[in-house]
Amino acid sequence: MKNVNEKAVQKAEKAQPVQQEREYVPTTDVYEKENAVLIRCDMPGVAQEDVDIRLDNNELEIVAKQKDGRPGGLDLLIGEYATGVFRRKFSIPQLIDRDGIKARLHQGVLDLELPKAEQAVPRKIEVTTGG
Amino acid sequence: MYWNDPRAWSPFDELRSLQREMNRLFDGYETRTAMSRFPALNVWGNEENIVVTAELPGLETADLDISVVNNQLTIKGERKGDKPAEDAVCHRREREAGKFVRTVRLPFAVENDKVTAKYENGVLTVYMPRHEATKPKRIEIKGS
Repeated sequence: MKNVNEKAVQKAEKAQPVQQEREYVPTTDVYEKENAVLIRCDMPGVAQEDVDIRLDNNELEIVAKQKDGRPGGLDLLIGEYATGVFRRKFSIPQLIDRDGIKARLHQGVLDLELPKAEQAVPRKIEVTTGG
Repeated sequence: MYWNDPRAWSPFDELRSLQREMNRLFDGYETRTAMSRFPALNVWGNEENIVVTAELPGLETADLDISVVNNQLTIKGERKGDKPAEDAVCHRREREAGKFVRTVRLPFAVENDKVTAKYENGVLTVYMPRHEATKPKRIEIKGS
């Protein structure tokens, strides 16, 4: 019996450092312009240097770590939200100009601009009257 | 017919009253969860200070209105749902926009004049020092 208890204690001790950070899916809007696709994600508490955007084949992954908003020397009295990591993956079609992707973070909102490749931009075809 | 007699016991009445009870239970529950309130707040504090933080991405400081009366903090604001570009077509919309108001009761009255607020990376932080008059005083015991 004692052995079992000891095991339980060991387990509990072990479990603590492994405690992973919470992961959140950022709420996202997707827009499309004539020459680009725009992705806008809510990421409160994320500083510019903590955003990691990776493009791997057709997959765009955004990982952003929130700052621990804990003010020093104060106890949490009411906790309605917790901080963690924002993670979201998007499938990107081939017709995106991979080198032209731009990202901007402003007040906790990440704006991604994915410009369309030349051949994907709609072209206006002039109609000429046959003379 | 007995089932039309309003005085008669009916199993359906019992069921209906049970349904009402259940609805009441869940209605009350829903309005009380943190998720239904926007913005979600964290309240931090010790004997001297109270700090309230809220996740409010994508606002401008001009859109925020914070007021403190004694021990009540009110955060008002509006998130504008503007498009990133005029000619953009929306494919997916998860981010909500609109006006919000949230009031929290603080554990003690605070110094209204010394309240400061910071808005950084989409997180609002309001610092409030405790009102002098409400601070606990140590009472010396004099020996006779």
